[in-house]
Amino acid sequence: MIESTHHDFDAIVVGSGISGGWAAKELTEKGLKVLVLERGGDLQHGSGYLGEHAPAWKLPYHGKKPRELYEEEYPMANRVYAFSEATRHYWLNEKENPYVVDDKEPFMWIRGNKVGGRSLIWGRQTYRWSEMDFRANEKDGHGIPWPLGYDDIAPWYSHVEKFVGINGRAEGLPQLPDSEFQKPMPWMALEKTIESRLKKKAPDVTLTNARTAILTEDLPGRSACHYCGPCHRGCSTGSYFSSQASTLPAARATGNMTLRPDSLVERLEHDPATGRVSAVHVIDTQTRERTRFTSRIVFLCASTVASTQILMNSKSEAYPNGLANRSGVLGHYMMDHTLGISSMGVFLDNMDSYYYGNRPTGLYVPRFRNLDGQDEDADFVRGYGYQTATLRMDWTTGFNKKGFGAGLKDSLRKPGPWIFALAGFTECLPQKSNRMYLSNKVDRFGMPQVAFEMRWSDNEVKLRRDAARHGRRLQRAAGAVFTMETEMEITREEMSLPGEGIHEMGTARMGNDPNEAVLNKWNQAHGIDNLFVTDGSFMTSASCVNPSLTYMAFTARACDYAVRQMGEGLI
Amino acid sequence: MNRREFMQCAAILVSGVGTRQIGFALSREQEVYLATAPDYISGTLDYLTEAQRRIIAAMAETIIPRTDTPGAIDAGVPRFIELMARDWLNDGERRIFEAGLADLQTRIPAEFGKPFDELPPGEQLAVMEQLEDSASDSEWYGFANVQRQFIPDAPFICQVKELTIYGFFTSEVGATQVLRHNPMPMRFDGDYPLGPDDSTWAESGL
Repeated sequence: MIESTHHDFDAIVVGSGISGGWAAKELTEKGLKVLVLERGGDLQHGSGYLGEHAPAWKLPYHGKKPRELYEEEYPMANRVYAFSEATRHYWLNEKENPYVVDDKEPFMWIRGNKVGGRSLIWGRQTYRWSEMDFRANEKDGHGIPWPLGYDDIAPWYSHVEKFVGINGRAEGLPQLPDSEFQKPMPWMALEKTIESRLKKKAPDVTLTNARTAILTEDLPGRSACHYCGPCHRGCSTGSYFSSQASTLPAARATGNMTLRPDSLVERLEHDPATGRVSAVHVIDTQTRERTRFTSRIVFLCASTVASTQILMNSKSEAYPNGLANRSGVLGHYMMDHTLGISSMGVFLDNMDSYYYGNRPTGLYVPRFRNLDGQDEDADFVRGYGYQTATLRMDWTTGFNKKGFGAGLKDSLRKPGPWIFALAGFTECLPQKSNRMYLSNKVDRFGMPQVAFEMRWSDNEVKLRRDAARHGRRLQRAAGAVFTMETEMEITREEMSLPGEGIHEMGTARMGNDPNEAVLNKWNQAHGIDNLFVTDGSFMTSASCVNPSLTYMAFTARACDYAVRQMGEGLI
Repeated sequence: MNRREFMQCAAILVSGVGTRQIGFALSREQEVYLATAPDYISGTLDYLTEAQRRIIAAMAETIIPRTDTPGAIDAGVPRFIELMARDWLNDGERRIFEAGLADLQTRIPAEFGKPFDELPPGEQLAVMEQLEDSASDSEWYGFANVQRQFIPDAPFICQVKELTIYGFFTSEVGATQVLRHNPMPMRFDGDYPLGPDDSTWAESGL
């Protein structure tokens, strides 16, 4: 192959999801000519949302899942609530694009299949990290210390939040700093009842709005939520944040972005003479044509596993164990959040109050364990938060009852008692043994298939049990007439699968010491100045909050740094 | 509301640059929107005999009868059951369905001298209650069944009940005339009065 010396682009961004969209926006707005490579197919904002606003009677099988097809072609994705015939085109076909699944300890790898990636189907929960999160590793000795703290990232949180549009309520909590908020979504009457009881009977916890990237006030080009309900089908009014609705249009508007769908990145080429990434090798997934693109800088934003896979597949004499992997930690220290229903409570308060509109998010109980040092009754480190759901029982939760006729019809059509659910999301410790690696199998493009070894530690098990115990305490304090907890004595085997949180992260962690980390504090590869990785792979610890906002803030910060370095002629 | 109506609605909502960015030139792609697709129950029926269809219709109407609001037949539930039994049930479930139907086809005329669908409503109900009694140990009535996709060995009577209830409340007639259908609420009110006879929102199960 003839080596190209011409820089086709100033920057190449691999991936168009949450992180890639931000990299595209920030770099193009700073004047760089940017090529965005997306493995998935093209999709137009609005017109590509084929299932949006379709009533049940229009859906195949009225929305019941075609089970055999899903088990055959989407065995992992179909376990996700957002997967249905109304959204299937957003997800990668797992039969055509296999990875190695261990029968005994499977890892659930969920992948997008369209421009916009998983930002189309994400849960839209957006929470800042706190100084406590950034200090956790150095405090309890798990993992390595973060190379920066809250004050370094706080301005970047603000920067992205103003553009994303996050509805929430300011609480002034040190463990969960407030974002730049739009006005919060309203509460249900029962939720206000629960809040007032918790204030008296469980004053150690705060019940607040789930902080959610859904507009309650118009932003340019995007309108406030119309409360139709199922966001994951796509939103042509751009009311929830996705690359499609927000960052990619901004990047496109600069005239500096070239977006190339169907472009699978096979590997990065490293030039040992310059010590830089010299090219990105791409396979067209439709034609199998291979192309080599060059640029001054490369941003990997392909999602944690895919970016790490690309680095691992980019072996050279200088980097025999994978690009940027002199430390040997690439692929290790994989983390995810465990999730599950910690406690469900039945409530008979506010029975004559209902709701109008479908609020596409719930409430949130921020972390309350191990805040000021170690709680005396806690046999674990770190903590968890609860996402909540409030609903009325209805025909979907009660169809399997005895009886026929007018009485059955009448009982099914009316709302039943209230259910208030507390779903614990627990932090996961970084462990070297939790890892992904390249197997000997190859996929249809000749890429080595990814394999995983990941199991929850005792700490994660103890966190889930504690979340069930405190969930019951909170439900009782809130006035539930009946509660159910299935996780009081949960075992590792009964927990959510690794990967099921869809918060997989940590396989190219950042740290000051190049012998222990892949990236420096600017998301820049140690020893390879023009390579940046800003998706979840950089995460050095996991916190217990949903991570996407943090990926966005770090991406924007890394873009700013990279362009300043370029301006000074350093990269 | 179809998709075009929604888009018009959205156009009113979104001001200035918004309308331009969101782009309403949908034309060709619009044809594949599920929102504008034919109703699922408009699919071609070729699975059951006319006699079997009458039995299924009578069962569905017994489960959800017409009262002061439409019933299962009004909502097209018999069509839904036939399509789902043909296309959605797996082989084992379909065998249970066919055996259950065959049982009613032979046993009822032998016992009563006429087919199930010609029995007086009270006797149809008694037959179905008897079927339900003998199925009462099924997992279908078990804890948390509503969280499962389908109980693979659910007896015939349970299959028909589930498909009837599901098909009814997700049909256009059931969702709009028995439940309350509100696809474009435009606001959220968390303290909205609920009268003693008010129905659930149809969208709550989506």
